[in-house]
Amino acid sequence: MTDHDTSASQNIKYPHWQREFEAALLEDDPQKLRQLVDAAEAAIFLRSQALVESPEGHAEQQSISDAIRTLRAIQREKLGYPDWNKK
Amino acid sequence: MPKKRVLLVDDNTGVRSLLRQLFESEPDFEVSGEAENGRDAVEKAENLKPDVIILDLSMPIMTGLDAAPLLRRLLPDTRIILFTVQEGREVEQLARAAGIHAVVSKNQAASKLILQAQTLLASMEQEHHPTKLRSAS
Repeated sequence: MTDHDTSASQNIKYPHWQREFEAALLEDDPQKLRQLVDAAEAAIFLRSQALVESPEGHAEQQSISDAIRTLRAIQREKLGYPDWNKK
Repeated sequence: MPKKRVLLVDDNTGVRSLLRQLFESEPDFEVSGEAENGRDAVEKAENLKPDVIILDLSMPIMTGLDAAPLLRRLLPDTRIILFTVQEGREVEQLARAAGIHAVVSKNQAASKLILQAQTLLASMEQEHHPTKLRSAS
């Protein structure tokens, strides 16, 4: 368990939000999933605020955009959020 | 001058809490309420009669885009700002069609949200009391 945790944390490139995001990806229970998605979104929002001031955050901002798309898909497909972009 | 009342609408309690801190740190705003989805916003707005509504886009039960026309009908003078992680022309167009006054990205500095709210309220004031502002300037 400790070994697993250590190796997982070594793969964390963006510690401000990536742990929360990956926890959401692994959760199946809808109630816990909603909490984890909310936590990931809040962490991403906070981090985005910090990156506004940073000239070197382009790669992380791209990863954040990808993470946001994934969170939106989870909200629609697993949490029953309505699709705002229905055509 | 009375403080401008703000209704915060976001399904994420963490984001709502940060927005509350942001608006309450400004002398000209007070947060009059929070709602966690579009339907909740419509129900609360009727009683709270806010000057500004900060509206998330993607929410359970009712999205910001679905709530906006109902809010406009209910409170035609209230200014609505869509505050979202979704960016781009498509969102801007959908927002405009829904009667939303401005779109601010969650990826921008949150202070832009305050600035946008102040700008919208100032332009509304000018529409309603053009002479007052002219004589003040």
